[in-house]
Parts: sequence; structure tokens; C-alpha cells
Amino acid sequence: MLAQLVLNGAALGAAYALVALGFVLVLNAAGAVNFAHGDLVMAGGMLGAVLGSAAAEAFGPVPGVVLLPLVLLFMAALGVLVAAVAYLPLRRKPPVAVFVSTIAVGIMLQNGANTLLGGEPRAAPPLLSGGSLTLWNGVTAPEQSLAVIAAAAVLIGLQVWVFGHTHVGRRLRAAAQDPDMARACGIPVTRMVLATFAIGSAYAGAAGLLLANQYFVTPHAGGDLILKAYIAVTVGGWGSVPGAVLGALLIAAFEVGVSAALSYPAAQGALYVTLLLMLVLRPQGLLGEAARRRA
Amino acid sequence: MNALLRLEGLTAGYGGAVAVDGVSLAVAPGETVALLGANGAGKSTLMKAVLGLVPSRGTVMIAGTDATRLPTHRRASLGLGYVPEGRRVFPGMSVHDTLDAAGPSSGTERRAAMERVYALFPDLRTKAGDTAWRLSGGQQQMLAIARALMGSPRLLLLDEPSLGLSPRLSSDVFAAVSAIAATGTAVLLADQSTARALSVAGRAILLRQGRILYDGSSAHVTPDRLTAAFLGAP
Repeated sequence: MLAQLVLNGAALGAAYALVALGFVLVLNAAGAVNFAHGDLVMAGGMLGAVLGSAAAEAFGPVPGVVLLPLVLLFMAALGVLVAAVAYLPLRRKPPVAVFVSTIAVGIMLQNGANTLLGGEPRAAPPLLSGGSLTLWNGVTAPEQSLAVIAAAAVLIGLQVWVFGHTHVGRRLRAAAQDPDMARACGIPVTRMVLATFAIGSAYAGAAGLLLANQYFVTPHAGGDLILKAYIAVTVGGWGSVPGAVLGALLIAAFEVGVSAALSYPAAQGALYVTLLLMLVLRPQGLLGEAARRRA
Repeated sequence: MNALLRLEGLTAGYGGAVAVDGVSLAVAPGETVALLGANGAGKSTLMKAVLGLVPSRGTVMIAGTDATRLPTHRRASLGLGYVPEGRRVFPGMSVHDTLDAAGPSSGTERRAAMERVYALFPDLRTKAGDTAWRLSGGQQQMLAIARALMGSPRLLLLDEPSLGLSPRLSSDVFAAVSAIAATGTAVLLADQSTARALSVAGRAILLRQGRILYDGSSAHVTPDRLTAAFLGAP
């Protein structure tokens, strides 16, 4: 029972980590919050559900892992479009302009999904077969949970490797930390910002696909998810990439652990109380740096 | 003169305030030029305007190319290196990652450029894995200069490189500037340490309120000229 609970929490945390990771990458690169991020997660889930249904009709059931690259590619393109429409024209304006424009994009995504696909919940196919695996001593684990953890680990590992160990990744970080100085070093910052939006949106879409099997997806699911990402980044440390992942894992642990012990509403209440305590006692977050604004 | 940098009627500022007012000048390949003047004379704004970091009017020619309408990264790619006032190192990046990010796309060229800057600043090699904001002020200044050199610039714009440094570290910075100039890289140097700047520059430009008061040999920068530039005409 406990092992099952831990596994469920880890799977949920892994998917939330992808949501928070995409959110914080764009936050750092753009210097502004992308309020459409939760709706991009929803769009990824919807896309996964639609592609899964279409593929099932044409070829029979197709595992989500086959759809994942398509979702990543489509969502990356959508991320570039969001940046081109809602960020680049407004980047020299006060941050509130980007807040408003990304909220507008989010509403368009919600209404677009509602109009095209209807408001009923949809499920994406499981990443693999959707069965159970016997691990040890008769303990069984849902294959989907293990696959979600593995897929998120691969994507997070890829991000860590690209940003930490490649020339392009270092340029992406430099552009996020000081755009003008990066430009003066010959780095095409606009291209870097577009690339970051693409990565952030692709990861949001991947999270949507991973979540939409177990938790279903509706056109209005994004509001809850952007809140989760926001809390994860606040708890982990505003602008801190490892902090965002840690914050997401903690949120999932809260949701699964407290829900099992008490109830889901109690878990939500406890989460917000913890957030408030965190803001009072350690406003820089768990991995943030005190009194220093990060790019 | 076959100028590396040519400015014609360059006017730049912030909002309605004009900081650089119709400046025309040229810097030849291999030349070291000291840009001197009081605080607010327009030295930093002039350098930023050359790079396109502040709005400006007039013409900016870099290595024979009209760069007036080019974005900053394209101007830098024409052969400019920039060391800003206050260093502005990428705070969360290591020395190695900073240099890598500022280097050319080709891995071979990047490694060669990194070896060159490590040879010039051996301390940075030992600190390669350290995060930039953990470095001392002097080390950060070295990193800022090294970062600017990673693109193998033909003209280095140095804005107040000795600001906030101890006399010993300041000497190290000027020694590095001399070494860079000796490789044939042109240098446009703004620094409050007037005597030191003049000692490494063959030519000086005195600015006052955004306009050029004097442009000529450093040897002919007299105390009267400096007084006029820094305090106004007696």
C-alpha cells in the first residue's frame, strides 16, 4: 500500500516537474510569467487524446510513447507561436503587458479546445500497455506510473544535459541571465528566447500527455496546473530550475500523501498553508538565493 | 584611414536626455584609444550606442560595414568585444560555461579561443568550475575581459575596467590591456584612472557633456585640457 502510494506520488510529481520546468525556463528567458503555460499543458493532453483516438481508429491502439515525439514537436511549434504573438512584440513593455497577453492566449486555447473538441473529459492512451508489473514480494505497480516516471526522468535529464553541457544550452542560460550582455557577446537572444519557449511548451505538452491518461483532461484544466507550477516555483525558489523540480515533487507528495491520510480538499488546504508559511519564513524558497533577483 | 570603427554624427541618450551629442570619430586597426571625461560625459553611452544597446541617431560603421541598423549581436559578430562598467558577468554560470557561451559556434575554434584567454588569465583556468558570482572583483573583471575576447574581436570596448579594484588588481587589469593591445587588437578604453589610461593609449579623446573636446595624441593631453574636460573651461 505504502509502496503504491509512493509510486503514485512519484509519477504525479514527475509530471508536475515537467510542468514546472517548462514554466521556469520561460520565466527565466522572458523575465515574465507565461500565464498560458497551464493551458499549454492542457493542449498537450488534448493533442495526445485526439492523436490517440485518431491512431486507434486507423491502426488500433497506439501507446502514448509513440505519440510523445509528435506532441513534443507540435507543442514546440505552438510555443514559438505563443512567443511570437504574445511575448516578442511586448518584451520592451512593462511585465504586466506580457501577463495580460499570455492570459489572453490561455483563454484562446481554452475556448479553442472547447469549440473544437467539446467540454467533456478526454483521456490520452497510456505510455505503454497500461497493465501492471509485479515488482517484488507480490507488490504490483501500474506500468503507467513507472512509464511516466521514466519518461519525465529522460526529459528532465535531457534538459539538464543540454543546458549544462552543450554550447547552445550555455547560450540559452546566458541569454536568460543577462540578455543585453548576451547580445554584446554575439548571442542571438531573440532566437534563444524562441527556443526556450519551444522547449517550455514542448515539456508542458509532454506533461499534458502524461497526466491525461490517469487524470483525464478538459479544456479548463490549465488553471489548476498553472497554479501548481507557480506554487512549485515559489516553493523551490523563484527562477531556480532544480527548485522548480523539487517544488513540483513536494506538491505531488502533499497531494498524494495528505489525500490518502485525510482527503483531497485537506491536501489542497495544507498545500496553500505551507505555501503561506514558506512565503513568511523563507521567501526565497528552498533553493533560491536571498535578496538577489535572478534573471 | 581604413577605420575599424567609424562614427558619424552619433547622438544617443535615454528618453529625452542626450548623453552623446553628434560625435564623429574613427578607430584604426591596432590602435589603443583612451576615452576620457567626467562622470556623465557620455563615455559609457557612446560604447553602448556603438553596440546598439541604447537608441541612437547617426552612422555606425564597423569594419567597413554600415552597422547602424544591425542588432547588437550582429554588430558584435563584426568584430566588437565589450567589457561593460560593473563587469556584468553571468552570475549563475561557471567561468568555463561563460567563456563557452561567448565563444564561436565551432567547437575547435572555441577551444582554441579558450586556450588563448586562459593563457592571458591563468587564474581563470584554476577557477574554471567556479560560479561567476563567487569570484573576487578582480577575477570577475578578468572574466569579463576574457568573455569579450572569446569572439576574437578586432576592437575591444573597455568601460571602466579598473572601477572598484585595488591598486594592485588595477595594475593587473592595465597590464592585461597592454598585452591585448600588443596582439594587434584595437582598444577603446574609458577609465577614471586618467594617468593609467593615457599610459597605455597612443591616442586620447576627451569628452565633455557628450561632445568631443579633444581628439589627438595622448602625449598632447595637457593638464589644462584635462581640466577643461573634467571641470569645464576655466
